[in-house]
Amino acid sequence: MSEPATTPATSLVDLGIKACTAYGREDLAARLGRIRTGLADPAVHIVVAGEFKQGKSSLINALLGTAVCPVDDDVATAVPTFVRHGEEKTATLVYDGNPPRREQVEFADLRGHVVEGSALGARPARVDVTVPRKILAGGLVMVDTPGVGGLGSAHAAAGLAAISVADAVVFVTDAAQELTRSEVEFLRQAHELCPTVVCALTKIDFYPAWRRIRDLNAGHLRMVGDLPLMPVSSPLRARAVRANDQKLNVESGFPDLVKFVQERVGGGAAARRSADAGAEVLAVCDQLTGQFSAERDALANPANAQRIVDDLNTAKRQVEELKTAAARWSVTLNDGTADLTADVDFDLRDRIRKITTEADDAIDEVDPADMWPEMEEWLRARISYDLLGNYTFLRRRAAELSEQVAGHFHEASGKAVGMLKVYNPTPLVEERAVEHRIELAKMTAGKQVMVALKSAYGGALMFTMLGSLMGVALGPIGIGIGVVMGHRGLKDEKKRQLEKRRAQGKNAMRRYCDEISFVSGKDSRDTVRRVQRQLRDHYTRLAEELNRSTATALAAATDTAKRSQADRQKRLKDLDAELTRLGQLRDRATKLAQA
Amino acid sequence: MTLVERTRAALTRAAGVYRGSGFDERIAEVRARLDEPLRVAIAGRVKSGKSTLLNALVADRLAPTDAGECTRIVTWYRDGHTYRVTLHPRAGGAPRQLRFTRDEGAVEVDLGGIRPEDVHSLDITWPSQALRRATLIDTPGIGSLSERVSRRAWELIAPDDEETPADAVLYLMRHLHANDLEFLHAFHDTEVSRPNPVNAIGVLSRADEIGVGRLDAMASARRIAARLAGDGNVRRVVQTVVPVAGLLAETAATLTETEVRHLRAVAGLEVKPAEELLLTADRFVNTLPELGLTSIEREALLARFGLYGIRLASTLLRQDGQTTATGLARELTDRSGLTELQEVLGSLFFERRDVLKARSALLALDTLTRTRPRSGSPAVAAEVEEIVASAHPFNELRVLATLRAGWLGGKPAVVEELERVIGGTGTAPHIRLDLPPDAGAGQLRSAASEALVRWQRRAENPLTVHEMAVAARVAVRSCEGLLADLNGRAR
Repeated sequence: MSEPATTPATSLVDLGIKACTAYGREDLAARLGRIRTGLADPAVHIVVAGEFKQGKSSLINALLGTAVCPVDDDVATAVPTFVRHGEEKTATLVYDGNPPRREQVEFADLRGHVVEGSALGARPARVDVTVPRKILAGGLVMVDTPGVGGLGSAHAAAGLAAISVADAVVFVTDAAQELTRSEVEFLRQAHELCPTVVCALTKIDFYPAWRRIRDLNAGHLRMVGDLPLMPVSSPLRARAVRANDQKLNVESGFPDLVKFVQERVGGGAAARRSADAGAEVLAVCDQLTGQFSAERDALANPANAQRIVDDLNTAKRQVEELKTAAARWSVTLNDGTADLTADVDFDLRDRIRKITTEADDAIDEVDPADMWPEMEEWLRARISYDLLGNYTFLRRRAAELSEQVAGHFHEASGKAVGMLKVYNPTPLVEERAVEHRIELAKMTAGKQVMVALKSAYGGALMFTMLGSLMGVALGPIGIGIGVVMGHRGLKDEKKRQLEKRRAQGKNAMRRYCDEISFVSGKDSRDTVRRVQRQLRDHYTRLAEELNRSTATALAAATDTAKRSQADRQKRLKDLDAELTRLGQLRDRATKLAQA
Repeated sequence: MTLVERTRAALTRAAGVYRGSGFDERIAEVRARLDEPLRVAIAGRVKSGKSTLLNALVADRLAPTDAGECTRIVTWYRDGHTYRVTLHPRAGGAPRQLRFTRDEGAVEVDLGGIRPEDVHSLDITWPSQALRRATLIDTPGIGSLSERVSRRAWELIAPDDEETPADAVLYLMRHLHANDLEFLHAFHDTEVSRPNPVNAIGVLSRADEIGVGRLDAMASARRIAARLAGDGNVRRVVQTVVPVAGLLAETAATLTETEVRHLRAVAGLEVKPAEELLLTADRFVNTLPELGLTSIEREALLARFGLYGIRLASTLLRQDGQTTATGLARELTDRSGLTELQEVLGSLFFERRDVLKARSALLALDTLTRTRPRSGSPAVAAEVEEIVASAHPFNELRVLATLRAGWLGGKPAVVEELERVIGGTGTAPHIRLDLPPDAGAGQLRSAASEALVRWQRRAENPLTVHEMAVAARVAVRSCEGLLADLNGRAR
């Protein structure tokens, strides 16, 4: 289970918070408090994706051992469903909007809202479901997605968008046939976006030849990059859960999948979060230790006191500089954001321009009256893919920018922190930890971007909005049936009508592209801005903390001169005790961060 | 003159015009095709059960079927006096006769060292009652992992030039995908009538898998097929959608006494142990040794029936222990949906054979006169256009296509009647007039007269919108034709 996996981290962070509060550093305590919340509610997303009617919903139901996602022979899931742990069964519809509109519905009515073609008004953007299942208690969130419907469809792009913020992907394919080309292609892309992908081969109870299919699929999967393949049977698992039959459960193949979900996904994520928490505590310890050790040095060695005060003054100036707009990291961030906005916008425009040209050519070749639904489908798919490309571009560039900013910040702050550390009497950390910290700085830098991106896309499927925009009607196709009858002499009229339809089609298509460009341009600008704000706030906060640490250290060091001898001895003893305690905390944090 | 006679006349004229131009052979080919059985292509995505359905229709296990991707070459199955396999190379050149063996029924062809990529098509001649009605064409699936295999299917059904080698197509779908629609559209021509749901029937194949082998799987499949058939996008490209459990249909058509004996052993079990045994395919093979069947026999049974087939057949045998092998085969054929498919094929394809054949021939002539003009060819082109524009069956098809495309609005009841009268649901008189199959001649005649009056009124009513008035005139012709036929029959 993933819950105990983060328990040591939680208790360590709690200890850190206690220490910070005791030393009067509420700012640092607040920082650890945020980490604490993240540990308590980790939200690990596992996206279940695959073609239509492969048994995705059944797989989730069988995995959870309860009927959550509606299953039907005919209609397929149309709305992504997020299943998480909760004390009671609840279902909430989330509609697009700012802020998103949420509406609680009866759990039993869920089917009407998430399956295709339900006539219950506007379709929600996603559905949040909670169920009291132990397997989810560690913070796992299972995401049931609509079928991808062939590579190149808008659905597939939406699926990939969901995958880009997921922690793991379970790709579902049934044992009726080997993986198709589009499935393999989808898997390849999914694997690039999310490193943890597992392929579940469903319905092995029904298809006698499933072992052959499994072997064929294993061959295809090797081309994608050695993804694990797990044959499972959802009906067997459901039966096993009902009858509490362990043997049947093993036969269903689910224990492997459960193990994968809990250990590799849940466990992996827990370990990552524990390491993060350890690193944060370590950073906090560094600041506190620096603060106390400067004071201790000044006390123990009165001759050095003035030099220490001078050094601390220099450090303080540096940290203060870090807080101003002229600081290098801040300049990098501002310039980088401007560049990023321009580049992303150009990339989007370029893509849309290419699509428009292509669509124009396509319309010239066909009669829109026959092909309009296909054109629509094609256009939507094409745009989804390019939006996904644009988004990936944004994501990559934002991560690069974040790394740059982090580099510049740590370069500058490192001096100040180093100056604090000089007075550290005992070298507590080995050299290795320094390297580790650089790695860590990078990691947290990437994390800042992901936080911003996740809040932008909310783990929901941004591309679902495309559907609602595509309400372009192709004018009246009320060409008289006489024309269709193809009598001679009407050929010219026929041609004229065709030209008119083509012009109409092109216009509609352009309007649609404009709309898309406008909406997603705004969306990506907002996202970049959100990334910028996130980074700015993050580093400003760090600078503030550092500032306070140096200021406290400086005040304490200055005070030492005023103290009496007895007072000094007493204070020295106190400080040594504090430093030992901090050292212990630090040791634990180091261990956790390096695990 | 009937449509076929007019088409033949146009062909004769074309033969005169193109004599000695190197196209004699082409025209002879088109003319020969006019008299051949209807060519029905079986198309669909990869692994949709095309070869299995072909076997079921022929009632013989000719085409090899397998869990992996199997059909890689376009294969024609036609009736003939002898058993023969001919290979047509891709690069052109003379067709070659190949050696073949029959392995457990399926025809195993020895390509004689030629790579499948270099083969254009295989021609299998087989004396068979079923093939006398229609030549069947098995195609590789689209969406196959190997690009080349799927391109081959495209070339057959949707070649760049307009005449398609097939007169009609059975399109197998498992669930409606975007790809499917694209494929169907490419199949439909644009000149004679468009878009054309006239020469395609959709088959919801592997129907037993929709309910993952539950006993009520076919009921579920039937519901889905009905919904698909009513869907606007599907209506534009296929006439109707029929669910078929292909494997079961194939097995029912070729059922052996041994298999029935084995099934009786399963049917002899109590309900509870039978359910446990048939819970999964693996269990059926490996558990309950006292059943008295070897694992090889059980695997063979699974391969032939599938889990659904065994569940269904054993249930049927348990309900009625007296059922004979023939009775069981008939029951299974009915349950598999094959009977219904054959009825639909009869009323939508075979009864319309002449129209479909003439259409293919006229399309070929149209292409020829357009791409290879010659002195005298404009007259041929004019004759073709004249036939295409005036022949009543084509007008019916065109109105039908317009209806299907949703371009013709009106009261639902009127539109429905229109579709029926012009033969959209089948061309037999009782179907057109919405009467039971056993309706007497008098009943048919009076219904036809009433329909005639009704449509005349609609055609002449000044308030009728123009499109509907044109369509109504076509319906009037259909009614007149019906009456003439009925009177002719009476006399």
